[in-house]
Amino acid sequence: MTRRAGIFLIVLTMIAMLAPWLAPYGAADAFRDFLHAPPMRPHFEGLSPMVHPLVLADRLEQRFEADRSRSVALPWLERDSTAPVFLLGADDFGRDVLSRLLFGARTSIGLALLATLGAVVAGALAGGWAGYRGGWVDEAIMRVADFVLVLPVIYVVLVLRAVLPLVLPASTVFLLVTGIFIAVGWPFVAKGVRAIVVVETNREYVQAARSLGATHWRILTRHVLPACSGHLVVQATLLLPAFILAEATLSFIGLGFPDPVASWGTMLAGASNYNAVARFPWTLAPAVTIFAVVLATNLIATNSTK
Amino acid sequence: MNRQPRALLSVLLIGVVAFVAWRWWSGVRPAPDSDTAIVVSERPTRGGRLTSSLRSEPRSFNRLTDRNVPTDLYSLLTSNKLVRVNRATQELEAELAERWSIAPDNKTYTVTLREGVVWSDGAPFTSADVLFSMQAIYDPKVNSPLASSLRIDGKPIAVTALDARTVVFTLPNTFGPGIAILDNVHLAPKHKYEAALKAGTFAQTMSVATPPEDLVVIGAFKLTSYAPGQRLVFDRNPRYWKKDVAGIQLPYVDQIVFEIVPDQNAELVRLQAGQLDTLQQQVRPEDIATLRPLEQQGRLRVIELGVSADADSFFFNLRQPYWERDPRRDWITRKEFRHAISHAIDREAFANTVFLGAGVPIWGPITPGNQKWFSPNVQRYGYSLDRARELLAALGLSNRDDDEWIEDPKGTEAHFTVIAYRGNSSVERGAAIVRDELKKIGIRVEVVLLEQGALVQRMLKGDFEAILFVFSQTSLDPAMNPDFWLSSGSAHVWNIGQPQPATDWEKQIDDLMVTVMTSVDQTERKRAFDEIQKIFAEHLPVLYFVAPRLYMGVSTRVGGLTPSILRPQLLWNAERMTVNGGR
Amino acid sequence: MGRYLLQRLAFAVVLVFVASSAALLLTRIAPGDFAAVQGVELTSDQRARMRASYGLDRSFAEQYAGWIRGALRFDFGQSMLYSRPVSAIVGERALNTAVLAVVALVLAASIGVPLGIYSGTQTGTGRAVVRTLSVIGLSVPPLIGSLALVFVAARTGWFPVGGMTSATVINLGWAAWLADLARHVPLPALALAIPFAAALERLQSEAIESASREPFVAASRARGVARARAILHHAWPVSLRPVLGFYGVMIGSLFSGSFVVEVVTSWPGLGRLMFDALKARDLFLVAGCAATGAVFLAAGTLIADLLLAYTDPRVTAGERA
Repeated sequence: MTRRAGIFLIVLTMIAMLAPWLAPYGAADAFRDFLHAPPMRPHFEGLSPMVHPLVLADRLEQRFEADRSRSVALPWLERDSTAPVFLLGADDFGRDVLSRLLFGARTSIGLALLATLGAVVAGALAGGWAGYRGGWVDEAIMRVADFVLVLPVIYVVLVLRAVLPLVLPASTVFLLVTGIFIAVGWPFVAKGVRAIVVVETNREYVQAARSLGATHWRILTRHVLPACSGHLVVQATLLLPAFILAEATLSFIGLGFPDPVASWGTMLAGASNYNAVARFPWTLAPAVTIFAVVLATNLIATNSTK
Repeated sequence: MNRQPRALLSVLLIGVVAFVAWRWWSGVRPAPDSDTAIVVSERPTRGGRLTSSLRSEPRSFNRLTDRNVPTDLYSLLTSNKLVRVNRATQELEAELAERWSIAPDNKTYTVTLREGVVWSDGAPFTSADVLFSMQAIYDPKVNSPLASSLRIDGKPIAVTALDARTVVFTLPNTFGPGIAILDNVHLAPKHKYEAALKAGTFAQTMSVATPPEDLVVIGAFKLTSYAPGQRLVFDRNPRYWKKDVAGIQLPYVDQIVFEIVPDQNAELVRLQAGQLDTLQQQVRPEDIATLRPLEQQGRLRVIELGVSADADSFFFNLRQPYWERDPRRDWITRKEFRHAISHAIDREAFANTVFLGAGVPIWGPITPGNQKWFSPNVQRYGYSLDRARELLAALGLSNRDDDEWIEDPKGTEAHFTVIAYRGNSSVERGAAIVRDELKKIGIRVEVVLLEQGALVQRMLKGDFEAILFVFSQTSLDPAMNPDFWLSSGSAHVWNIGQPQPATDWEKQIDDLMVTVMTSVDQTERKRAFDEIQKIFAEHLPVLYFVAPRLYMGVSTRVGGLTPSILRPQLLWNAERMTVNGGR
Repeated sequence: MGRYLLQRLAFAVVLVFVASSAALLLTRIAPGDFAAVQGVELTSDQRARMRASYGLDRSFAEQYAGWIRGALRFDFGQSMLYSRPVSAIVGERALNTAVLAVVALVLAASIGVPLGIYSGTQTGTGRAVVRTLSVIGLSVPPLIGSLALVFVAARTGWFPVGGMTSATVINLGWAAWLADLARHVPLPALALAIPFAAALERLQSEAIESASREPFVAASRARGVARARAILHHAWPVSLRPVLGFYGVMIGSLFSGSFVVEVVTSWPGLGRLMFDALKARDLFLVAGCAATGAVFLAAGTLIADLLLAYTDPRVTAGERA
């Protein structure tokens, strides 16, 4: 299963990177007459997959009917701008959910993976050093971690946003958000790692290594931290989805990707009207993909540390 | 190795079963109550409890210092005015003032107060209370936001009492709306708060911490309990003076409960579940479809209130100093640029996308919902991309290179940044439409969504290029909102608080506003204001696209409604609302 | 032990102080102030007078000094938004959130920990099912989770749709009020508990798995101890280290209130208050909320560390063995 999870992730990454070519429509292509259009199921006419186009039945109720007299080809084969094909439905702007999922994969997975990696590494090193050295180093690092945890991040982001220029290119936002996530995430990891390392440091193998003349750094990275690897995997599992979702919260304060850029977090935030969820459940598609990515990562990481 | 797929399959199976169960359950609806028939009889029934939602907490119960929605609602329920403007008909109604006479100079109003009116603690209502209230409003320590609306030419209204029942208002100048200005006078009991005003602590009275028994009222209801964060409960005021034509003492309902529900989705759920009878304000267009099934079951009614008086405002920063060193200064503040933008926006598509078709196209700040003041004879910019391109070309903007954007002769690309705020889905969608439509004529628009406080700060400081915002009005008479029209006004959003009018046309509007504000001839006022709307439409300091139609969901057990387009759309006349069944 | 406690207490005070000062400073630097946000439609004169009356026109140093002086007397200033003392408002809301937090804590622990022990020590389908469910619990945003629960409550009528109490029990006695509260708590508490339960399950699962591999567990089995007892008695206390580390943070976070859950379920709590205070730039209220959050975090981590010292036989309080 791990192999399958690994293959799944590799395929997903490839899809994400190839999104501009794979996605039937652009992330920002809005079809005004197709707000919240439902997913269209393809059927086979001979050997080619075709779809019955949708027609707007009631604009206020956002109701559509399939026009069974016509068939259009899938958008990769043929593009008809009056009869868009939504394999996963459309969102409240009339944008294709499938395309936005693909484009959003880049943003969300890239951001979350990078941030999680950074937070885990930073937290492991900080917590490991604290637990290993003990004494005032331990105290200092843990208190700094406490301080970061208690600081209202929202306020910091608000102030940060104010001092930054008004228009931020997507790459700047990406780096900033990653940085913020790492800065906010490392204390969680550090605390757990420190708790484990405190005990591990007293083990015989550590004392043995020290008596053999190994440097602190070597002991830490080669012997002690690997003992926390299982815990670090779990921490990564907890942080990854949290970061994907937290990106939406940040965009509420104004530190978000400019609108046409799709991200799974913002797609979910836009679907948060419960009535919309009941009537248009396809807008929750990002939740499924988030779940799949997190599960796959967890499976791979767990089994690679055993 | 075979366990994992089996595990996933089990979870998927559970998921499918759960989903199907949920769908089945949603199909199972509780049988409609038998006593929720629509009230058809005209005889109002007395008694019962009405439950509404409230989206934010009251910060104070002192209407003289606070004018947020919850405080205004509190004041509408618990207070009376001397004269009130009926929010549905826009007609004047006498309340605590029984009659009045206007002196020939049109500056002096002699008002006779109603006899026998008492405050809820039994103290009589006299002219002393009116004088006290005016004094409190003008007191600098109180810093009342009402003060500026009760000043004419910057001078206060002089008030004197001839006797316990007669008050004389002397205006420093004639005032267009006339005695309707008294709609802005909110009353406070002198016997209760005189000491506080003298001590300079009036602004802290009637705070949310005040025990409800201490709040003295004169209106239909009084507050009996306030659970912070949860609800407000109002009971009928047994000493209320008003009776209906049949002699029944108002209000009809015994109790009004406001549940504090900050989330709009949760609010809607409660309305559907029958836990709320009505809402604080209109439903969103996307929610109407959700309420339709309940309409068919006879549990709710979706009523159309009319066309909103408030619409999305799109405006540029027209302060010349801001653009001095900007390479775009030659064309970005020109009115032709704004004409082109107005031509380029497909208003029908705007209405369809932002309001799901429930909107009317508009070209000025006064919408058809404001029937008295709306002027259809203003320049309209029909949807025409060609015309837009022509206008831009006349400014020197055309496509001079390979990309899709147009440039001016110096090579500066046509672009600007528009700021909007997160949290209002229709504003966000509107901004996206503006950006997409202008892309078609080659103008690059960056939409930046900021937090509301940051946006307000920039708007007030004049640190922006363009803004998309929604302002809400409290009155439909333009003389009551002079700050928007006057170049010196604090709400003249494209160039706030000018010491001298910066342009000729702004000076023209200033001069015409004098007529609107001071003439007592209503036809003359209308004519002057029509002219103002014409000038406005020609120079387009603010662009408008679509005004939404307003809808409200209300339970079928509620009757006696007087819908208005001004907030709070039903509850402004709560004293006449009825609930059947007396539940 | 006593010295350790005193140390932690001293640090907690410092933490609270630093957190509130940082919050004050940040709110001050943030664009817009109370007068601007509340007084959009006022004239600039009126706004200036509003500023003066609230003391917003003083320099930050003055405001800060005034706040410190008050704080030493336990007077945390006046909220501009509610015109009431900050301590009163924060106290009420913190109490409401605390009720919710305690229930959510109990729920999360009673769901997450046993499931974690189960999935960490069993092999087979059950373990994978639990793991998958946990990942689902982690992937669903709290907003959707709360909305789903509200929806379920509306459809089934099992729970009231949001709020903390009903209007009808205002004048009834204590028992009725408590019963009413008990009906309102499950919805938001569940919404809060599910992601934490999932996290606890994952942490506990991994921790007990690695603890079960320790030699002393094998030794106890060799001595004839039954598997279940070996796990619960020997492996589990040791596995608590990383779990309790998370527990401390979880307590702090729960008691500070979740804005999303409180808004959707209309629970009048601290999370909502903090956000409203920020939006309105209510300086002293923001500081009060930040201080309260710091208190809860410090208390949470202290409780977690003490629990750890109590349960893990390898360590005494004071940490360095």
